[in-house]
Amino acid sequence: MATTAAFEESRTEATPRSDRSASFGQRAVILLTTTDHKVIGNMYLITSFFFFIVGGILALAIRANLAQPGSSVLSDEAYNQAFTMHGTIMLLLFATPLFFGFANVIMPLQIGAPDVAFPRLNMFSYWLYLFGGTIVVAGLFVPGGAASFGWFAYAPLSDSVHSPGMGGDLWVMGLWLAGLGTILGAVNFITTIFCMRVPGMTMFRMPIFVWNTLVTSLLVIIAFPIFAAALLALAADRMLGANVFDPATGGPILWQHLFWFFGHPEVYIIALPFFGIVTEILPVFSRKPIFGYVGLVAATLMIAALSVAVWAHHMFVTGAVDLAFFSFMTFLIAIPTGVKFFNWIGTIWGGSVSFDTPMLFSLGFLVTFLFGGLTGVILASPALDFHLSDSYFVVAHFHYVVFGTVVFAMFAGFYFWWPKFTGKMLDEKLGKIHFWLLFVGFHMTFLVQHWLGVEGMPRRYADYLPTDGFTTLNEISSIGAFLLGASTLPFFYNVWVSRTKPLVQLDDPWGWGRSLEWATSSPPPRHNFHSLPRIRSESPAFDLHHPEIAELELIHNPDEDSVFADAPDVNGKADVTGHDTKKDG
Amino acid sequence: MGRRKLAVLLAVAAVVLSACGKMDDSQIMRLALPQAASDRGDAVWNLWLGTWIAVLAIFLLVFGLILYAAIRYRRRSDDEIPTQVRYNLPIEALYTIAPIVIVAVFFFHTVTAQNEITADVENPDHTIQVVGSKWQWTFNYLEPEATNGEAVFDFGDTENLPELTLPVGESVRFELRSPDVIHSFWIPEFYFKMDVVPGEGPQKNRFDMTPTREGTFTGRCAELCGLYHSRMIFRVNVVSPEEYQAHLRDLQARGQTGSPAGMVSADTVAGLGDSESGVEN
Repeated sequence: MATTAAFEESRTEATPRSDRSASFGQRAVILLTTTDHKVIGNMYLITSFFFFIVGGILALAIRANLAQPGSSVLSDEAYNQAFTMHGTIMLLLFATPLFFGFANVIMPLQIGAPDVAFPRLNMFSYWLYLFGGTIVVAGLFVPGGAASFGWFAYAPLSDSVHSPGMGGDLWVMGLWLAGLGTILGAVNFITTIFCMRVPGMTMFRMPIFVWNTLVTSLLVIIAFPIFAAALLALAADRMLGANVFDPATGGPILWQHLFWFFGHPEVYIIALPFFGIVTEILPVFSRKPIFGYVGLVAATLMIAALSVAVWAHHMFVTGAVDLAFFSFMTFLIAIPTGVKFFNWIGTIWGGSVSFDTPMLFSLGFLVTFLFGGLTGVILASPALDFHLSDSYFVVAHFHYVVFGTVVFAMFAGFYFWWPKFTGKMLDEKLGKIHFWLLFVGFHMTFLVQHWLGVEGMPRRYADYLPTDGFTTLNEISSIGAFLLGASTLPFFYNVWVSRTKPLVQLDDPWGWGRSLEWATSSPPPRHNFHSLPRIRSESPAFDLHHPEIAELELIHNPDEDSVFADAPDVNGKADVTGHDTKKDG
Repeated sequence: MGRRKLAVLLAVAAVVLSACGKMDDSQIMRLALPQAASDRGDAVWNLWLGTWIAVLAIFLLVFGLILYAAIRYRRRSDDEIPTQVRYNLPIEALYTIAPIVIVAVFFFHTVTAQNEITADVENPDHTIQVVGSKWQWTFNYLEPEATNGEAVFDFGDTENLPELTLPVGESVRFELRSPDVIHSFWIPEFYFKMDVVPGEGPQKNRFDMTPTREGTFTGRCAELCGLYHSRMIFRVNVVSPEEYQAHLRDLQARGQTGSPAGMVSADTVAGLGDSESGVEN
């Protein structure tokens, strides 16, 4: 029963509302009982996008309040709740689950698996996320309001003396529950990638998105248990009268160490998968394989390894950490990140570059993340961080990094995989309008915030004085924010009109798709593949559809199968492409 | 031709940058920083300027490469099949090693600067205990000569801004104390902030600094500390040493003597030892 029902469902998801074969009740039962990774992935994507909208509305409220000095859109307390919930929602209820959405839908397809390793655990993870997230957001509707101690909940501000009220308790326990879902989901992905790759899919033939899903999941099981433990300790302090984070015993700094030991890897948890998405898109629209595959994988692993050794750069002004060590470790991250950039540029270089919407968003990501990365190096210098820490410079920096990565790559991924998700293309013209509104709105909002921070405007200030000289730049920023908010409308309209579009009826509507998801129907059947091609490189769908060009690749890279070549495992590729002048590897 | 343009560009950049300075009247020429007002300003400013030159150079290089590649290699006909290059080891070695060198140089300068910024002064001329509490600042002038060693204090709240008075050209040790939550003591003109952490242990922060020019600045709490965090600002008056002495005697005359470690009405503070709290006022 489950098999056919869920199969029906993946069709229903594909064509929302136009397919009347299932009643509302039937569809509800399917959603509640499904173990199909694609349906669960879609549920993750839809739920996280809903939270994205909620977080975005809070952001607009924040920007409305800051547009003019002395404005009273929000009271001080409401303002503190707004940025606390904005940060919490965007990082933990939007960006992190968004990774689970993309990875759920795409990763099993890319490794040729029929589903994830533990489908029921997958379903359970989603429900933990949904209920945990709902509990967190429920704080907005209880007496006293939501948590208002900032998304990193520094002790002792977050204790029951300084922040009494149900909102804080809901925040702590809701995040704990959602975090449990995150941990279980990561275990599921790791198991799936290690155990369920189709024969022939060696580790060095995995698409970069799969690599990044693997590395991200490993980071999740390193970082999230620490966070869960710290949250439970905070809950004990708040509700049971414990004294774990008591100032008398060094609690405030202890909390910061625990929180940032989670918090910094978390930044990479929400960055790496989206690097992966962009890395999937650039080759398709440049008509070239990814440049420097092994180097790129190594860079990802190095970033992940370093990300657990840099947490205290969030604590340079606490006076409690070793400045030089954490500064140096943070600087080191610039090296693999730089390598990634040159891999991406090398992929475009010499290619045949088209500017379809997924590519536009990917290029937008490159430019935005480039600047965010560079300001990150500035912040990693304690000498400069003393001035910049906790100012709007930091706010600008992390929006360049996180928005540049998560949101740009998310939309890139939506436009790219929409035909695979639903069988229908999104409209290119609306997509381009969407991109340019988003791009201009984003940079207008956040570029000026660097300047504001250096001038002396601290973050998390509900207000400023007319005499501070912050007014003009805040006005520009707020106008940009509303433009940015409005950019979502063409996207919604695009999704709405796509429902009546004809089905693409093609495995690979882009024509130059490389990884395995383009070797099955759009959308794929319940267990993903009716037949699988032989896997002899990281681009099996491409080898299948364009054997003659895949052959060219062997000619253009004569030493591709030598141990020193920075290329994926192409052993035996000639068998697939029919290329016979090359010796067997 | 291209080379000549580049030379002109570099010359213009050099002229513009040499006009930059931490005391310039134009905020643009200060690269957004406030006019410096402490002896640690040079270390920050030199690093700030050098870093931005490097950052913008790298940004323009990489951005240029992205833009160039996207435009130069744009698709011109639908049946194009580009060369399927997968790797190029010499270039890969270059773009791995170049960032290592850049980072190493930056690290050297950053450590040099941070050591200069955080250096202690031997026997500072004045010691001021800064107490940040929800949501006001109290400034305890400890053992001042002007009052024959009797501690005096100044305070305020979100309505009547607290005033911190500092003598120009004389070194000051700031001891940071909090009776409740974490605050952060930031004077933007000093290019420096440090957290005010409650409790015992290594979190008893202090730093030394010498104001270098007279003026009135706005100091701010930079760490979220609850409801009125954004109202927790204070005035900084840097005045001549004579005015400073007079100000302290004035505080003494007003009866603001002692060194309260919390709000002005509190006389004991959890987490602080007896020697530091329990001051009558």
